[in-house]
Amino acid sequence: LTPPEGLQRAAVLLRRGVLVVWLACVAAAIGIAWRTHYVADLSAFLPSTPSAEQAVLLDQLRSGVAARLALIGLEGGTPAARQQASRQLAQALRESGTFDAVHNGDNTQFEATGKFLFEHRYLLSPAVDVQRFSVEGLKAGIDDTTSLLGTPAGALIKPVILRDPTGETVRMAEGMLPAQSPRMDGGVWVSRDGQRAVLLATTRADGADLDGQQRALQQVRERFAALKAEGVRLILTGPASFSVDSRDKIKREVEVLAIAGGVAIVGILLFSFGGSLRTLLFAVLPVACGVLAGVAAVSLAFGNVHGMTLGFGTTLIGEAVDYAIYYLIQARSRAGAPPGDGARRWTAESWPTVRLGLWTSICGFAALLFSGFPGLAQLGLFSVAGLAAAALTTRYVFTVIAPDGAPGVGMRRRLGEAVGWCSEVLPRARWPLAALTLAAAAALAWWPSAWHANLASLNPVGAEQIRLDEELRQDIGASDNGTIVAVAAADEAGVLAQAEAAGERLDKLVASGAIGGYESPARLLPSPATQQRRRDALPEPAVLAANLQAATADGPLPARRLQAFLDDVQAARQQPVLTLASLKDTPLAAALSAQVLPGDGTRPWRALLRVQPVDTQPVDLAALRSALADLPGTHVVNIADEVSSLYARYLREALVQALLGALAVCLLLALHLRSWRRLLRIAQPVAASVVLVLAVMTGLGVALGILHLVGLLLAVAIGSNYALFFDQIRAQQDSQAPGPGVAIDTDTLASLALANITAGVSFLLLAFSSIPVLSAVGQVVAPGIVLSLLLSAAFIPRRQA
Amino acid sequence: MRLLQLLRQTLRPEIVAAACAGLLLALPLSAHAAFDLPELARLMAQVKSGEALFTEKRSVAMLERTLESSGRLTFAAPDTFVRETLKPRPEKVSVVGNQLTLTSGNRTRTLRLDAVPEAAVMAEAIRGTLTGNRQAIERNFIATVSGQPQRWTMELVPIEPQVRDLVRSVQIAGQQSWVREVTVLMADGDRSVMSIEQVSSVRAASAPN
Repeated sequence: LTPPEGLQRAAVLLRRGVLVVWLACVAAAIGIAWRTHYVADLSAFLPSTPSAEQAVLLDQLRSGVAARLALIGLEGGTPAARQQASRQLAQALRESGTFDAVHNGDNTQFEATGKFLFEHRYLLSPAVDVQRFSVEGLKAGIDDTTSLLGTPAGALIKPVILRDPTGETVRMAEGMLPAQSPRMDGGVWVSRDGQRAVLLATTRADGADLDGQQRALQQVRERFAALKAEGVRLILTGPASFSVDSRDKIKREVEVLAIAGGVAIVGILLFSFGGSLRTLLFAVLPVACGVLAGVAAVSLAFGNVHGMTLGFGTTLIGEAVDYAIYYLIQARSRAGAPPGDGARRWTAESWPTVRLGLWTSICGFAALLFSGFPGLAQLGLFSVAGLAAAALTTRYVFTVIAPDGAPGVGMRRRLGEAVGWCSEVLPRARWPLAALTLAAAAALAWWPSAWHANLASLNPVGAEQIRLDEELRQDIGASDNGTIVAVAAADEAGVLAQAEAAGERLDKLVASGAIGGYESPARLLPSPATQQRRRDALPEPAVLAANLQAATADGPLPARRLQAFLDDVQAARQQPVLTLASLKDTPLAAALSAQVLPGDGTRPWRALLRVQPVDTQPVDLAALRSALADLPGTHVVNIADEVSSLYARYLREALVQALLGALAVCLLLALHLRSWRRLLRIAQPVAASVVLVLAVMTGLGVALGILHLVGLLLAVAIGSNYALFFDQIRAQQDSQAPGPGVAIDTDTLASLALANITAGVSFLLLAFSSIPVLSAVGQVVAPGIVLSLLLSAAFIPRRQA
Repeated sequence: MRLLQLLRQTLRPEIVAAACAGLLLALPLSAHAAFDLPELARLMAQVKSGEALFTEKRSVAMLERTLESSGRLTFAAPDTFVRETLKPRPEKVSVVGNQLTLTSGNRTRTLRLDAVPEAAVMAEAIRGTLTGNRQAIERNFIATVSGQPQRWTMELVPIEPQVRDLVRSVQIAGQQSWVREVTVLMADGDRSVMSIEQVSSVRAASAPN
């Protein structure tokens, strides 16, 4: 295949052209990666085609309030010191401008809100109807209100009773006070045991704006430190703190892992290539190109790159470095061969095998591309693009810049001999190994499924932090895992009316003691129809005056003292109906933004009614569902259930995709090899190592999740390369004439061993990561690929010389 | 000891020192002779549950006449207390543990008692006294007991400054293990007097010593 003189010159030019194209690609990828937006919120791991209940969960997450919460606890010191610190910290944070709202139970800040509500009481109070202003209605209302006077509860109504004798203020407050409020001590929120003051702050920065959230949390720490509260400690949890901590932790660990992996790999390479710096640089080239291509592809396709995808990217080092090792060893020049012979020989002999390995890997990961979860699809695309870039760099760039592989022998002759020895000994253990695999498969079938890891297993935040967060949420009554009644309608008026309809049903459940209470946006902002009805119920001045006269005839509050009431009712008859728009820039708008999620062309308007249990008992979902069954567009959503069902769906979908991917890989191999025998030969060791790893993990009681599955895919992708090489050797032997003198290619074997060791070491490092996402991948891949190599040697015996 | 801590918070150090010395001197005597809070709590704790009728008269400065109401009180150890107003309009306040349920007409609301200090103060005063829960009383009030078992009075002054801004004191008068009268003095001068008439009570099988 030696080209004529003229063509050779063209080939040189072409090679230079290849380099130029490659450099341009690298530059473009760097440019894209530089400008990429990196995200760490959960939304990438939410389904794009949700069920009705999941849609509620998603809308709630998208509304962003949940992601902007910071839960603050103050512990230690005396109760008085904690209470003072709570007041001062809340004040300082409100002034800092980095928070939309800071709640600590101190209601003095709500003076403006209270005034606004009071001025609109005849539109907002649930008690207002025609009957309310009749003689009997007025009398009952005034009796209700005066009965509060002279008790501690009456102290709040006393200053306004002459303007509000029927107690509309009380009725509004009743609806708005949550059933699960925190304990009050010294005028601020404290935990139920009183040992901790608690605050709830909403950051101004968006949930996705991690830098902004980090600054907000830093504000909390600095302002707290400035208080110099004696003996009082600050605790900071909540979604904002979780995301910032996770990002820091992932960043830190990815750095450490990259350095440790790099050092290990460099060590191994030096050991096997005898200390050539040039070889080292070459070896990391496909890795770097792979990661860059992965980031660029994901960024182009999804508009952002998730932190988890990036973390996963470091695992790609393991497979990408294999390509470099295969080439650098297998393409080294033979004695007496012309320059460039190594590259030609490698392209002819080994590249088809590497290419086939690449195709099988791509097949496996491409299955993830069709995932309904953008996050999983990102992982798939990242792997496909990364592996392709690494392989192409090896094939087209290495053949130009290192046409004769890497010089230096180092220890790799020994390595080759060791693998050669293994491949002679291991086939003897073939039947016991097969029996072991069958036993493992039987055990897997017999044992209950271990695929039951939950979403929390993806959380890089430690268990201690999660427990603390749950405690603070209990204190504040802001549990994440509550029950929500969600109603949907086409517009604002519709969704508020719908919330009122659901509220009527819920009122009955509160009365019967089935639920403790509920929060509804319609209490803060009734539907326009309801407000109009209330306004229409307000009588004309003369009628009201006459009714009031009759109602107070022998009562404790004479009508002559209630002129202000008459004036207020008359003023209310002219009040415009309140809407979300008219509440803009009031504290009420902030409260409503968590409960009313505006729709757009594709999504309906949604209102969320948070249901509170009776004391600490769980809410009876069946009773709730049956009470609301015939209301259109209404769903009862248990957040904890939905989150776990979401993850279960996620896992189920990924399992099916992985199986489809495996099927596609088999199909591809069958088409390429056109031999059932060879297909079986290659599938055996890979499938056996998957079964063995799964059996050991299940036997150890590890809860398997999505990342273990992705790890298995990766193990299959890498492991199948070894099987393919063993198969290539066997096929070469088979094609040669039988008899003595069959060359044992120790270099190919050495390259396999070296690739296996480097990949194994880098995944072993991952297995010890404290980030669950990374350790899950490492735990599966490291043993999986080592087993794949050993089993390939055992199950694909070389013909004995 | 809790009482000492409270004194220390409210008084100047030198007075505390004097008071401590006084208390120490008084201690051996009080255990035998004087009728005090532990003694009263022991007495009250003998009654496990009970039912009574009440009439309440409330004088409020800004109202033209005294408000009157009547109804039924029930309680059961350890932590249940229900005040059911029958006249002039039906109304019910029930406290079970930390849960406060308010029923008025067809409306029911549930709240955490410790989240509403102004409601908790009344509930703890009456429930704590009726069930003989000394800890609950001492947690919320500075209690002064005087008189003898056959005719005693207890003055409860709220510890919490925010609550003291509303309620100056609660005075409870009783006879043996029964409460006869509860007087609430509000900080703004309003006052209510609740007279209680026993209907039935269940005593513990064996009175604790």
